[in-house]
Amino acid sequence: MSPLTRLWNLVRRRRLDEDLRQEMETHLALIEDEGRVRGLNALQARQNARTRFGGPLVYREQAFDAVTLTWLVDAWKDVTLAARRLMRSPTFSVAALLTLALAIGANAAIFAVVRRVLLNPLPYPESDRLIELDHGAQGLRMASGIAMSPGLFFHYQDRARTLLGTAIYQTDEQTLTGEAQPERVRVSHVTTNLASVLRVWPAQGRWFSDAEGLPGARPVAVLSHGLWVRRYGADPNIVGRPLTLNGVPADVIGVMPASFAFPDARVEVLVPELLTRAMGFGTFNHYSVARLRDRLTLADARAELNSLIADLPRVYPSYPLTIGYNLQLTSTAISLKEAKIGAVARTLWILLASVGSVLLIACANVATLFLVRADARQREVAVRHALGAGDAGIARCFLAESTVLCLAGGLLGLLCARVAVRALVAFGPANLPRLEEIRLDGTVLMLTVVVSLVSALAFGAIPLWRRGRLAASLHESGRSHTTSRSRQRVRQVLVASQIALALVLVVSAGFLGRSFQKLRAIDPGFNPTRALTFRLGLPDREYSTRRSVVATHHAILERLAALPGVTATSASTCLPLAEEGWCYGSPLRVHGRPLPKNELPPTVAFRAVAGGYVEAMGMRLLRGHGIDRSAVERSEPIAVINQALADAYFAHEEPLGTHVSIGLDTWLTIVGIVANTPFRALGEATGTPMLYMPMSVAGGPDMPASVLAGPDVGVMSYMVRSAISPRVLLPAARRVIDSPDAKLPMAQVRPLADILDRASAQLAFTMALIAMAASLALLLGAIGMYGAMSYVVSQRTREIGVRLALGADSARVAYMVLRQGSVVAIAGMVVGLGVALAGSRVLESLLHGVSSRDPGVFMATTLALLGVALLASWLPARRASRVDPLVALRSE
Amino acid sequence: MPKHPNDRLQGTLDLLILTTLARGGPQHGYAIAQRIHHVTDEALRIEEGSLYPALQRMTGSKWLRAHWGTTDTGRKARFYALTPQGWQQLEDEERQWAFLTQAVNKALRFA
Repeated sequence: MSPLTRLWNLVRRRRLDEDLRQEMETHLALIEDEGRVRGLNALQARQNARTRFGGPLVYREQAFDAVTLTWLVDAWKDVTLAARRLMRSPTFSVAALLTLALAIGANAAIFAVVRRVLLNPLPYPESDRLIELDHGAQGLRMASGIAMSPGLFFHYQDRARTLLGTAIYQTDEQTLTGEAQPERVRVSHVTTNLASVLRVWPAQGRWFSDAEGLPGARPVAVLSHGLWVRRYGADPNIVGRPLTLNGVPADVIGVMPASFAFPDARVEVLVPELLTRAMGFGTFNHYSVARLRDRLTLADARAELNSLIADLPRVYPSYPLTIGYNLQLTSTAISLKEAKIGAVARTLWILLASVGSVLLIACANVATLFLVRADARQREVAVRHALGAGDAGIARCFLAESTVLCLAGGLLGLLCARVAVRALVAFGPANLPRLEEIRLDGTVLMLTVVVSLVSALAFGAIPLWRRGRLAASLHESGRSHTTSRSRQRVRQVLVASQIALALVLVVSAGFLGRSFQKLRAIDPGFNPTRALTFRLGLPDREYSTRRSVVATHHAILERLAALPGVTATSASTCLPLAEEGWCYGSPLRVHGRPLPKNELPPTVAFRAVAGGYVEAMGMRLLRGHGIDRSAVERSEPIAVINQALADAYFAHEEPLGTHVSIGLDTWLTIVGIVANTPFRALGEATGTPMLYMPMSVAGGPDMPASVLAGPDVGVMSYMVRSAISPRVLLPAARRVIDSPDAKLPMAQVRPLADILDRASAQLAFTMALIAMAASLALLLGAIGMYGAMSYVVSQRTREIGVRLALGADSARVAYMVLRQGSVVAIAGMVVGLGVALAGSRVLESLLHGVSSRDPGVFMATTLALLGVALLASWLPARRASRVDPLVALRSE
Repeated sequence: MPKHPNDRLQGTLDLLILTTLARGGPQHGYAIAQRIHHVTDEALRIEEGSLYPALQRMTGSKWLRAHWGTTDTGRKARFYALTPQGWQQLEDEERQWAFLTQAVNKALRFA
């Protein structure tokens, strides 16, 4: 009979049993009939039949066993019995269940993240061969991060033998119109070989042909899966549909698979980057991805690329950077995985270690609970033994209990993990790759089941441990006795290790909390309160000259200023802490100062602004004056610089009144100096030199890039400061923008304060998670301590009663218990401090403004934990001191 | 799984039940037990405790088919009949039995 049939029989057990019952009844009746035929009376016949037939219940069971899975039935019996036993001690069961559920849940959730983000971050075939071709330039004092130029791309593409292929790309924002509402989308301009480098092709339609990557080709676009679903309702006939990007019509030729998120998940449209060799070396405005040839290492690639770089002046003799300055370009190629998740990896490993510690604490806690329970049940076990239960039977009984408890804990833990993963995905920092793909999959389920079963085995084994003693316990008198020294020691070690682990976590949380506090206390150099910001792009087609762009910005600003409640408005090509980073960066020329021979001056970030920007942002003007509205309208060639620029360029000179230039002919006069504002992140070690210039003298759609006039003012970030909340202001602002041109999409709409919050978001996220792990650890540690001390007191009630009866005062008794608790706590804390001191360096990369040896943090967290531990043992101590000697002595 | 007490005799019991059903057509449990009792000149008595588990097992293995019916005396009873697989099984077991008894006979004669 197949196991499946047996299983099926188990399911229809009631039906089978009912049939058997009837069948046997008939059988009995037939025997009775036979008896009556032989002349017995009814009663005799029945008795005779019963005697001959035997026990129908036993037969039914035997018949049933013959056709079903007996072991499953037995296991079920064990489980239900165990569950019933657990239900009878609800405090123990609920405590163990919740402890396990929280710890297992936290581990499952973090493991799900780690698995997706760290172990398999790049959903491309043989993704470990993918590298990012970054460069450093000693001449610019940049060790790495200057990325790639189109000229270098062709140079490598033609000559590099260590690479199977190199693709470059740059990402910007464009206005997507046609059919639905206009919106700003992130567009990556990629070379047409990107798909073959990544080895991923569109799930629908086709990829770009090589010809489509040449200037003059018919514009085409490949959509991300997300955009296809979101904007086009997953239209199966999407291929061939037209869309309009920045006013230029293009045809959709394909949709990437859902797992594709390159360069990151925010990019929704891919278009070909139009490049030719004739364009020359170009600027370092592209990122790149390359595939290493098999069996070659990153070092091989770097070595070859460095030798190719040495050859550059010969290939691009006219490129100024190769002749005018000694750029000292070096290849700093790194693996793509490292480039994408290097910064996040450490955080996640730390998180995993934290939740792992919580699991250990939880296990120690549950082990203590089991130990206490095992002690309490010693006599029960001895009785079972005496009544003939075998070792295996008793083991099965305990293992069933721990299995039921641990699996239930695991199940509950998975529910916790589900909630936790949702929260992680919702609140996680945007730079976690594949965050949106994180879910509890089979592997995570497996891990949970394995963790649950292993803990079940471990806890189930605790009562069986030193079973030799069990038989003896029946001989002992009925009086309760204190437990053996070794058992007590085991319990103390368990409690002490919980305290030690909890201390490590609390110290970590303390460090991160202090960093966060310091980060939030940094003066950002502008006023983030009550201001709405959004980004507005004017399409080149409709707004084809700098004059028309500036006029439109002015018109919109004027109407925004007229809104009720608005106190100030302005605009800039880039706000502080912008994701875009440099926006526009270049070294600066100072009038009358010769170009340095061997090194480039520091790069300056340029910002084209509307009138009153410095005042509207609430930036601190240190000297001179700002750029007002009339200066912008008159196109005055003036500039305001920040302190960092003054320090970098004018250490020994007066900056005010000096003429500076980005390019060749436009000279700007410095009229003011403002305090530094953060460039990309809060708490940057050094300020980034910045220059603010009127938008009317900066770059525009009709300014050729070669003029180097400054950032393109076609896209500006607006800032509207108001007496009312930014969110209330938004609908009115939207109407203002619709009135000149309803096709203009607002992007990145958010209060200025959000930008500041986002800058500390990742630290906040890490801190919140570690703080949660630490509080969980603290709570579990305190419960463990409390439980252990309560048990000690309950075991020693008689002894305490005797002491009190003999005249010990209650304070002394309380002190005795408290001392025992503190010895354990302090031993744990000494170990914990050692581990924390040794391990705090791991945290260093996450910290800001606080040393990983900061004694204040160590002191505060240790004292806090000591306080909790003392409180946890003080409660049982107080109970001990209130023992009534008469009751204690009489209770036995 | 605990060993069934009559595992050793199981082959014989199966053979007896199969033969009984093959000779006498569909019968209920009581009739099967009675018939074996009679045809063996009251030498063999099938315990009800062995009969029903065996019937269950053999039905589960699809050798027998069970259906509810009424006896001559008007009682509701479950009747067992051989399936094609049951006939096949009977053939196999008869052959095995013959082989076994011959072997034992030889052993007894020449021992």
